[in-house]
Amino acid sequence: MPFDFTSTTFGIREERLGSLVGYVGSIRDLAEQSCRGSLKDRGRCFSQSSSCDAGCAMGYITHIRDVAMINHAPSGCTAPASAIVTMQTQLADKRSLPYNTVVLGTDLNESDTIFGAAAGLKQTILETWERYKPSAIFVTTSCVSGIIGEDVDAVISEAAEMLPVPVVPIHCEGFKSKVWATGFDACDHAILSAIVKPPQKKGNFVNFKNFNESARADIVEMFESIGVKTFFLYSNTTIEEISHISEALATVSICGTLCSYLGNGLLEKHGVPYINTINPLGVVGFEAWFREVGRVIGKEAEAEAYIERERAIYIPKLEQVREKLKGRRVVLGMGSSFAFQIARVVQELGMEVAYVTSWHYDSRYDDGNPPPHVQHLAASSPVDFPVNIADQQNFELMNILNTYKPDLYLGRHGGTSIWAIKQGVPAIFMADEYMAFGYKRTLSFAYTILDRITNRSFEKNLTARIKLPYTGWWYAQDSGGMYEEAR
Amino acid sequence: MGKKIIRQVAIYGKGGIGKSTTTQNLTAGLIEMGKKVMVVGCDPKADSTRLLLGGLAQKTVLDSMRDSEGDVQLDRIMRTGYKGAKCVESGGPEPGVGCAGRGIITSIGLLERLGAYTDDLDYVFYDVLGDVVCGGFAMPIREGKAKEIYIVASGEMMALYAANNIAKGIWRYAQKGGVRLGGIICNSRNVDRENELLRAFAKELGSWLIYFVPRDNIVQHAEIRRKTVLEYKPESNQAREYRSLAQAIEGNEHFVIPKPMTQERLEEILVEYGLMDLVEDYKI
Repeated sequence: MPFDFTSTTFGIREERLGSLVGYVGSIRDLAEQSCRGSLKDRGRCFSQSSSCDAGCAMGYITHIRDVAMINHAPSGCTAPASAIVTMQTQLADKRSLPYNTVVLGTDLNESDTIFGAAAGLKQTILETWERYKPSAIFVTTSCVSGIIGEDVDAVISEAAEMLPVPVVPIHCEGFKSKVWATGFDACDHAILSAIVKPPQKKGNFVNFKNFNESARADIVEMFESIGVKTFFLYSNTTIEEISHISEALATVSICGTLCSYLGNGLLEKHGVPYINTINPLGVVGFEAWFREVGRVIGKEAEAEAYIERERAIYIPKLEQVREKLKGRRVVLGMGSSFAFQIARVVQELGMEVAYVTSWHYDSRYDDGNPPPHVQHLAASSPVDFPVNIADQQNFELMNILNTYKPDLYLGRHGGTSIWAIKQGVPAIFMADEYMAFGYKRTLSFAYTILDRITNRSFEKNLTARIKLPYTGWWYAQDSGGMYEEAR
Repeated sequence: MGKKIIRQVAIYGKGGIGKSTTTQNLTAGLIEMGKKVMVVGCDPKADSTRLLLGGLAQKTVLDSMRDSEGDVQLDRIMRTGYKGAKCVESGGPEPGVGCAGRGIITSIGLLERLGAYTDDLDYVFYDVLGDVVCGGFAMPIREGKAKEIYIVASGEMMALYAANNIAKGIWRYAQKGGVRLGGIICNSRNVDRENELLRAFAKELGSWLIYFVPRDNIVQHAEIRRKTVLEYKPESNQAREYRSLAQAIEGNEHFVIPKPMTQERLEEILVEYGLMDLVEDYKI
């Protein structure tokens, strides 16, 4: 896909990637329709609330530790900043790094909505520079600034001429896309457009795009074992560091959803290879990914040697636990990459995938090809298990759990796993993106599952003491009954 | 004895059709009949009460709200004009910025909170800008505010096209609330067979032509002098016309849910009553 980094705006996922938030079918149908280009989004006559791309953008851009983010929004939209900044500060503290990023809001009120708040935004940008001297200032837009048609770009251009650091808009109006992951793209578009410089020299490092870098030490050691350094982004990075990502040997990621825009954009703009295999989750995913990394950066033999060493240690242990997990049935609810990647890991560990509910689905990535992990899973899965695309629609999830009665629910967003537990289904909240990364963590993940499904007293006790809001009527319905026909 | 009901009236119509002029002269006529009237201008240009006040020098509701940071006093935004007419201008942002529709919503809400709708009032008129560009400008007919709508139109095609669209909006809100169309007011442009055309148009809507205001240059003369015709030339024919309009409004009992027509039907009526002559004109 041609990227346009001269524009401050970019295509949303629905337009670029044919993304969906409404679908009911199966893994093979999803994979086949992705190839045919025939997938169509389905609306709902009833929908629970979900997340927005503005919130996603705020959570992601603030991983950088030396910037200011100005949210041109009502104060409520900026309220999550306190929790986000607290977490980012702790992530930096774990590495003994200073976290100097600040989040500010223009606090759009009723009068601003009527008369516009361009003057206030400009004043906020200039005052932010005076007070905090950040390395860059990002201005995020909101539903309100979008509805009143505020000319944010013009204000930013004026302010930027007065300041020595980049002032960059991130166009992430909450209503812009039904897919909140568009917020990742909004950040990456801003970074690629205004921060990343053309390469001065080739570096001996790979860009590793992730969230919270919990497996940092292991990954650094792993890449060092093949003679390459690792640059994690954006957590704990600085603007100066990010400006050099065009010099990397390759870009890799823990999540296909997260890295499609940056990986493919960096490839198109600066020629940095993007590793777009299935992601390094589980043994199959890790080996396919690491072999491709080795091939692309010319370290095939070293990568193979690493794989051989690790296999010798972990494969026998994995076989042991696999026997204990065999036949357990799992429902998964996650983002569009993790949902299908972890489903593959579940099958690797000998369990059965009963149902996958994915928050959204990209029919293709920014390289124009269908997501490789879905194609892989459709081919490797022993059964054509059911799938829906539904963004954290708990009412549907509860119906699905009641229908399929799995041994385990795996969720990557806390708001869903607690509901599974309330309904008596053991659940694991996979907040850590590295929970099933590589050999060691796949083994650890397997034992976590075993622990979770062995002792069920928590679910039993909880479910016996609470009354759920859903009636017998709803549990008797088809969970996809609220979907409209595709148009 | 029940609480007195204030007749809240919204005047809609195509931009430039003469809504403000008609509303202010109508207001003057009602005031001469002894009625207490408030006019709320719902146009960012804030020129809906110029003739009643003798000028534009009025602080708008929204200007006042912005300047006083929420501490708005009613006496700062409401002025008294011709023979006691209460005049308020909503105001709004500069063209091209902000959201004028939101401004109307805020402004009317603020007027209510400040107690502008006093029991002594007989009428409140909302003079809404011509192109009802968003939901904000439909505010006066939502939430149980204006219950009576009059559409100002003429025999020109675009005026009737706009009037039909406004009727569609009224129909939508009438399904859930008490808003009704009180009639069509023709502000004549001296178009051929204008009276017949407007009668046919109003009938097709299920309503009626409540009054035909003839064209008279005295209206422009009065406007230049920042006066209503009733103030400028109280004995003129046009002043009598506006008094008659006021009496028609006062005595009106003909309120309906309009039946907006299709574009094809509207064009049929135009051909039948107006544009048909054009075809004859071009015969060789």
